[in-house]
Amino acid sequence: MNQEQRTDEQKQKLRDHFLSQDKTYQELKAAAKQAERDRDNFENSIPSTMVMRDSATMRNTYLLKRGLFDQPAEQVTAGIPAAFPPLPADAPGNRLSLARWLVAGNHPLTARVTVNRFWQAVFGTGIVKTAENFGSQGDLPSHGALLDWLADRFVRSGWNVKDLMRLLVTSATYRQSSYLTDDIFQRDPENRLLARGPRFRLQAEMIRDASLSAGGLLVRSIGGASVRPYQPDGLWEEVAFGIKTYGAQEYKQDHGDALYRRSMYTFWKRSCPPPSLVTFDAPDRETCTVRRERTNTPLQALVLLNDPIYVEAARGLAQRTIQEGGQSDRDRMHFAFRIVTGRRPTVAESAVLLDELQEQIKAFASDPQTAQRLLAVGDSITDDKLKTEELAAWTMVARLLLNLDESITKS
Amino acid sequence: MDHVSKAIHPLTRRTFLGASGLGAAALAGLEAQASASQREPETTHLSHFAPKAKRAICLFQLGGPSQLEMWDHKPRLEEFAGTDLPDSVRGDQRLTRMTADQKRLSVAPSIFKFAQAGKSGTWISSLLPNTAQVVDELCVIQSMHTEAINHDPGTTLVQTGSQQPGLPSMGSWLSYGLGCESQVLPAFVVLISNGSSHRKDVLPLTHRLWGNGFLEPRFQGVKFRSSSDPVLYLNDPANLNDAARRGLTDRIAQLNRLQYAQTGDPETLARIAQYELAFRMQSSVPELASMHDETEATFTLYGDKSRKRGTYASNCLMARRMLERGVRFVQLYHRGWDQHDVLPADLARQCGDIDQADAALIGDLKQRGMLEDTLVIWVTEFGRTVYGQGKLKKDDYGRDHHPRCFCVWMAGGGIRGGMTYGKTDDYGYNIVENPVHIRDLHATILHCLGMDHRRLTFPFQGLEQRLTGVEAEARVLHDILA
Repeated sequence: MNQEQRTDEQKQKLRDHFLSQDKTYQELKAAAKQAERDRDNFENSIPSTMVMRDSATMRNTYLLKRGLFDQPAEQVTAGIPAAFPPLPADAPGNRLSLARWLVAGNHPLTARVTVNRFWQAVFGTGIVKTAENFGSQGDLPSHGALLDWLADRFVRSGWNVKDLMRLLVTSATYRQSSYLTDDIFQRDPENRLLARGPRFRLQAEMIRDASLSAGGLLVRSIGGASVRPYQPDGLWEEVAFGIKTYGAQEYKQDHGDALYRRSMYTFWKRSCPPPSLVTFDAPDRETCTVRRERTNTPLQALVLLNDPIYVEAARGLAQRTIQEGGQSDRDRMHFAFRIVTGRRPTVAESAVLLDELQEQIKAFASDPQTAQRLLAVGDSITDDKLKTEELAAWTMVARLLLNLDESITKS
Repeated sequence: MDHVSKAIHPLTRRTFLGASGLGAAALAGLEAQASASQREPETTHLSHFAPKAKRAICLFQLGGPSQLEMWDHKPRLEEFAGTDLPDSVRGDQRLTRMTADQKRLSVAPSIFKFAQAGKSGTWISSLLPNTAQVVDELCVIQSMHTEAINHDPGTTLVQTGSQQPGLPSMGSWLSYGLGCESQVLPAFVVLISNGSSHRKDVLPLTHRLWGNGFLEPRFQGVKFRSSSDPVLYLNDPANLNDAARRGLTDRIAQLNRLQYAQTGDPETLARIAQYELAFRMQSSVPELASMHDETEATFTLYGDKSRKRGTYASNCLMARRMLERGVRFVQLYHRGWDQHDVLPADLARQCGDIDQADAALIGDLKQRGMLEDTLVIWVTEFGRTVYGQGKLKKDDYGRDHHPRCFCVWMAGGGIRGGMTYGKTDDYGYNIVENPVHIRDLHATILHCLGMDHRRLTFPFQGLEQRLTGVEAEARVLHDILA
């Protein structure tokens, strides 16, 4: 065909064919591709973070009737409620100005709310019980002057959290016994007046972390991706969207260190949150929660008894006890008891636990299969130099300890 | 306002013992061993008048089954077939993204025939031959409507009274109001089944649909599963025998009692009770779940699918077992509805899942004398459009979401059976008689259970919150009450 008569399409076809045969071109093309890949890999290796910035022109914002996006009412602008000190005259009405205002120190709001939350963490209930609401619908403070003193001190200390926590936990109020007489209970069942020290159940994540720690399993590394520890089969799948390419539809359990990281690293799927944490009142994270409920249900007993992580933690504690707790049963039992409760057992408690140990050693000696099943729970490896029935018996003692009211209660 | 308890901690011995939920019941049981006379009653807390129903079951068909093929007989659609839906009928109704760009909205009549059934002569589709046999027990509401046009807000509205997520579910409100009857089972249980439709994408379910919102966590639904652990973590992972588990529970109690002597904290006593209850659940739940004591006749009644765990039919039978044992509210979800395409084939499969089971449940409750005080609610989030979605063929078509009208039915405790309530126009597009909003349905459900929806409240964010919301007044459907 005459060169002039070729259509564009035909010219392109010829050109493509020529290039596909040209060695130099192909080598250069491959090198360019590789360079692009190297660049992408390098860029992907750099952690990225979200950065926020105001848009050049402010968008009009409206009050939405009943929160419906298509029902705008009056137009609104950014600002501080009139009851509080205003923004500086030259400050633009943006997030940065708000952030600076929050910590300006010329009003008590931020500091009060903050110290109240730390107080809540330490004492179980805030000085203002409704930690999420200091408005007209919130509760009044039980000790208003104390709250203001703490807030003022907190600002003067340069917002020093460590200093605040030290002040709280070394206070005479905090160091009181939490012993509860009928009389005190009748007069102040919620302990709002703090005539006794705080006593309340640990939060979901802390219960798991404390057990992992007692079992010598806790991985304390900081940061990194979320992890998928043990979870009963099929939970995600039974509520999943059918199409697999969507994220988090099938639960693939991790192995190794990922099983034993602090619970705050557990992957959170809001439509199907980790059941053993939710059972201990971890909020489902549909909405922001600054104050958790504390319930007491039989489902919690089932989790502590039967979630494999708690059985595995008990085995870990048993192994530590045999290896590090001394030679006599009594020494070992004191060792394990102290790890879990932070105190020595009473004579009566010792008697119960030593009875249990003897009974279990006998039981497992005559039923080695059950002992082996018990020791096989969980991924971590046991020291095979330890005698099966002995380790199994101590594992049962450790399960007993990890299930005590005292073990999951701060007092 | 009579709230059950605003406190995080049980405040006093009285609320401590009398509060609903498993814990209190168990403790009451424990106390009973010491002194039977001191035992607190475990009956309803917030009953406002004598209830007709003591318990309820909600059969939620997730995805929006087509009312036009099942419950709302529209004979004139044959004349309108293939013509465009008149603008005068559509009005200002918004469409979903799935049909908003469709050039024509052509009317698609039901491919399935309708016939009258029962003494009441209720019109019902050939897809539901078994349900037709019990239709005289049902009150079919043809005039339900909702604001939601997509599944998640629609389902959330039906389950919580609001499209915005985060509020307590209906079941949580019921267990808050009714308390717990069983000593060894929760007040509010959730069961999930998958449908037989061939759709690849099945609408997801989410934990918050049975969540407690701002009510206490003990009021949230407990999901029962069809696996070997019907309740999560029910079984000992090392499969310890009963004696070993008993021993462990006893030793824990022994040490906790020593702890109580040192602390005086009633929470420790409650913990002892919870472990005892957990131990009892380890035998009562498997007994409930095993179904070994059900007769051949019962399985035949519910259909062959009821022999397979986790099916809708099996869940209906399981629900009846739970209701018999004192569970207050069972929430079923059946997935796989949402027939945007291949409606004739998939809808038939889905109806095949539920028809015999629904009828069997009604019949079974009746023959056991339970129907009169058990409220059965068959519900979904919205209806389907009268016009077809996608290409309209004679034997194949789909339908889009339709919020303006859809059908639900109720039966049992407090409901007048054998009636149809409300009416839609000849297109089955608009309601022409007795519109029923979701909040009206909620008010009616609460009424049957002995509660005034205006008085079942909980203080949150400065409002006396209620299931029926505070925006518009809900009305109890007195016309459908027995």
